Amino acid sequence: MVAMCGKGSSSRTFWNKLMEFFTVSLLNGTIYGLLLFMVSAGLTLIFGMMGVLNFAHTSFYMIGAYLAYSLQKVIGFWPAIIIAPIIVGFLGVIVERFFLRRVHKYGHAHELLVTFGLSFIIAELIKLFFGNYPVNYQVPSSLNFAAFQLFGTDYPFYRLMMGVISLLMFGLIFLLLSRTRVGIVVRSAIYRPKMAEALGHNVPLVFMGVFGVGAGLAGLAGAVAGAFYTTNPNMALELGVLVFVVVVIGGLGSLEGAMVSSILIGLISSFAVGIDLSAADVLGYVGAGEWAQQVGGLLTLKISSLAATIPFALMLLVLLVRPSGLMGEKE
Amino acid sequence: MTTMNNSLDKPVAAPVLAAKPAGAPMLAKILLAALLLLLLAMPGFLSTSLVNAAIQMLIMALFASAFNVLAGQGGMLSFGHAAYFGIGAFATLHAMNAVSGQGLLPTPLLPVFGAIGGAITGLVAGWFSSKRSGVYFSMITLALAELLHALAPHLKSVFGGESGVPSMRMPAWGFTFGTPVEVYYLTLAWVVASLALLFFFTRTPLGRLTLGLRENAHRLKFLGYNVHMARVMVFVISATFTGIAGGLLAMSNEAANYSVFEVRLSSEVVLNSYIGGVGVFFGPALGAAVMTFFGYAVSDLTRSWLLYQGIIFVAVMMFMPNGLSGIVAWWRASKFTGATKLGYVLAWSVGTLLCAAGVVFIVELLQRMLSDDYQFQLVQGQPWPALNLFGQAWLPGAVVTWLLPVALLAIGGVVLKLTSARWQALNDGEAQ
Repeated sequence: MVAMCGKGSSSRTFWNKLMEFFTVSLLNGTIYGLLLFMVSAGLTLIFGMMGVLNFAHTSFYMIGAYLAYSLQKVIGFWPAIIIAPIIVGFLGVIVERFFLRRVHKYGHAHELLVTFGLSFIIAELIKLFFGNYPVNYQVPSSLNFAAFQLFGTDYPFYRLMMGVISLLMFGLIFLLLSRTRVGIVVRSAIYRPKMAEALGHNVPLVFMGVFGVGAGLAGLAGAVAGAFYTTNPNMALELGVLVFVVVVIGGLGSLEGAMVSSILIGLISSFAVGIDLSAADVLGYVGAGEWAQQVGGLLTLKISSLAATIPFALMLLVLLVRPSGLMGEKE
Repeated sequence: MTTMNNSLDKPVAAPVLAAKPAGAPMLAKILLAALLLLLLAMPGFLSTSLVNAAIQMLIMALFASAFNVLAGQGGMLSFGHAAYFGIGAFATLHAMNAVSGQGLLPTPLLPVFGAIGGAITGLVAGWFSSKRSGVYFSMITLALAELLHALAPHLKSVFGGESGVPSMRMPAWGFTFGTPVEVYYLTLAWVVASLALLFFFTRTPLGRLTLGLRENAHRLKFLGYNVHMARVMVFVISATFTGIAGGLLAMSNEAANYSVFEVRLSSEVVLNSYIGGVGVFFGPALGAAVMTFFGYAVSDLTRSWLLYQGIIFVAVMMFMPNGLSGIVAWWRASKFTGATKLGYVLAWSVGTLLCAAGVVFIVELLQRMLSDDYQFQLVQGQPWPALNLFGQAWLPGAVVTWLLPVALLAIGGVVLKLTSARWQALNDGEAQ
């Protein structure tokens, strides 16, 4: 049934393999989902507050990765991981202050288009400075060891670390938003911006701050994940599309929705990659295999090779049954 | 929250389309006829490569106009129009290859299949994406296009894999369609007919309803319209004409592969349309033609055209929100004498050109400095050798090299600031 399932193996090893596949996919999927959440959290917070869909959000993720890559050569890995997101956060502040605020009067569509243009420029600048190919950004050897053994294979410590960092991040943001005075102001600015302003809070400053923090979070995700996955000029777009799917499924503006659907997408992606089965094989069980093989096309494609498309299919399904997303408000 | 979700439906800026003064059409008609005559006569005095560039310009102009039905008139910003363009291209190619290469219809009629392909895909995609409006709509269209992009390489029988689907234009109706000039006239005929239909569409009841979708969808709902269906119909019309554009490109190139589904094409049409200005019917076509022409003209000179395209787009969005065609509306709306306005336009142009020169200088210098060829020449501990740029040698280590573009930018910025301030003062003075 599953990719690793060898022919003629006894049922005991089959179950073992299945368990291994299940456990590994579960771990990988959860961690990937947490990473997705780190990026989509900022996007959904910014949207909820300013009504702006920030197209350049994953560009900040990419800048984070490239900055960390350049910095770690000079100042080492850990300082780079810390400094890169801070610089990205400042870039976010600049974008909000000098670009978005200027076009605010023309409406939200205009703001969206400006961020779209910025994402375009950022991708081209990255290509200008670093070339149109992946750069050699790798996990430092001091962190490149096995955390534990899982069914006889090593499980990389770094992957686990990424998960822990995003969980820490989530915890911090949650505490900040729900337990501090700053959090109350931010939440009120999200909920009723005009009212918060009338009560004497500097809402534009809050907007700028949240935009910066959101960008910084994306930058942190990029700095951490860039070392593990590939760092190339297309990473912003690839992740961007996935993050959009996440927020459509979760419902824009809802942190919980973003969390749930990030994990969901992460799990689905990592499970799908391992399933070496096509629709024709399934139809074979009911005797229609021959017919499916003849039809070809989509029916004979393995699920593993369709892994990239499954999140989109899930999005279409959600749109069909619950257009406002899992946790979104009704339009 | 609810109001925010619908915010994209609201107009970007003052809509220019609806209010056409009654006196203007005569001049517009004469201009249009002159443009048409020029387009008809063009192959007579253009080189072959320029004719090919003209074909691209026409196709991109149609693509942008079709996109604008949805984005500019309907207020639905699609980021995935490459999907319908690509489907149109492949549908046309398969129709060309059908009946053992003879084609399903005579060659000149084949883009019809592009239209059909675009319409069917548009129906499915539009049905899903227009379930939501505003930013959701944008994200869904992008995701659908990416779905097709992810799927296409795996469906070799339809999209031909890496090598794509090749084809041949068959002779028909006494034409061989072997030379670019014949292809040019074929493309021109299709583009002019399509643009005429699209213009006619803006005058139909559904066309007026499209504007209503942009301005206030809630109100349409209260008036008893099925907003979802109306959105789907507008989407289908846009996708149909996008499919024709794709079919024309396929016919002109006689091939296509799955790279047409890339997001680059989707973004290009967005950039072109908004640079041209979505408020006026011919705005996007103008933007697409101008940008495609520039892309063609500078493609040999620079490798950073896409970067310039992005910078132009953001600059237009920030400082000229109605796009290039907004200049016409501005000229008409302002009550000052032509000479005064011309003076300001000239001053603004000088400032813009100075800034542009500064930006181009920096980008080109960086591009050459960071290129692999140059980086390999470097010797450790030695100063960086001189670079050739605009027929001059520049030392990357010298202050002058960097002072010049910065000075250009600064002077340009000051000119722009002063001109804008004076213009503002002039208007304020008039108002009092």
